[in-house]
Amino acid sequence: MGVAFVAHCLLNQNSKVLDGAHCAGVYSPIIDVLRERGWRIEQMPCPELAFAGLGRFWAVREQYDTAAFRRHCQRLATAVAGAIEARVQQGEEIVLVGVEGSPSMGVTITSSDPQRGGRPAWPDGSPELTGGEGIYVEELHAELGRRGITVRVAGETHAIPGHDEAVQRARLESVLEHRDA
Amino acid sequence: MRDERSYRVALVADRYVNPKPGQVDGLAVLAAAGWGVMQLPDASYPAEVARPLLAEVAEQVEEFSRRGYGFVLVGERDGLAEALAHVGVGVPDGIAPASAAELREFLAAQPAPPATAAPG
Repeated sequence: MGVAFVAHCLLNQNSKVLDGAHCAGVYSPIIDVLRERGWRIEQMPCPELAFAGLGRFWAVREQYDTAAFRRHCQRLATAVAGAIEARVQQGEEIVLVGVEGSPSMGVTITSSDPQRGGRPAWPDGSPELTGGEGIYVEELHAELGRRGITVRVAGETHAIPGHDEAVQRARLESVLEHRDA
Repeated sequence: MRDERSYRVALVADRYVNPKPGQVDGLAVLAAAGWGVMQLPDASYPAEVARPLLAEVAEQVEEFSRRGYGFVLVGERDGLAEALAHVGVGVPDGIAPASAAELREFLAAQPAPPATAAPG
């Protein structure tokens, strides 16, 4: 057991891009697993919310990969890394729970389309998904690396084609129990 | 795709998100009632850790507030009022519930958020 630093939207689906909220508020399939297993929950800020607002468009990683957004993410990452460092100093295990497919919060899957831009008209679908981290997660790992801290990661997979809640739960449990090592 | 958001957000003290045995499980009540949660930094964090986290909470509250989302405060957090004032937002109506029932009643009494009002 330890401390799970979770993506903002896992406790607050109101922060999601419009049409992206899977439930009214708390996304229980992830939060319940953490609580059942005795993990303390700490919520990270949503990198996109304050920067691009509630009326933002769905976007891919390349659209957010600007110097200004990077600076914004670095500021958030510094704040969160301070909290993670304090917990590490208390001897806590740390797990980072992100959102797979997100341009900013993806931990192993993000979204990519170098051509996307201009008037927003694109088909729903999954070709934009690609392996890798979102921009905020990348900046957080960089900040933690400067502090000599490594963390395990897990992701909510609701936006991934073939999403299966049981598989999502099994993966999360595997990370919590360190069976992913 | 149907968007399920509630347009209702609670700023919640850490002890209601991570309650000790016997304390009120605010997160469970808020989840069941369909409220989103913005967790406030744990009271055990030193000021140099908590202050930047509170500043980010306040920035996000500002955006929700501008868009007419409903807000309440569950519990309290030193420095929150100052952080919210910095972005021009007041401290919302709040409660430090002694029981889950008290919190449920408080949430049920909240008005519909402006964002859910019909246009025009």
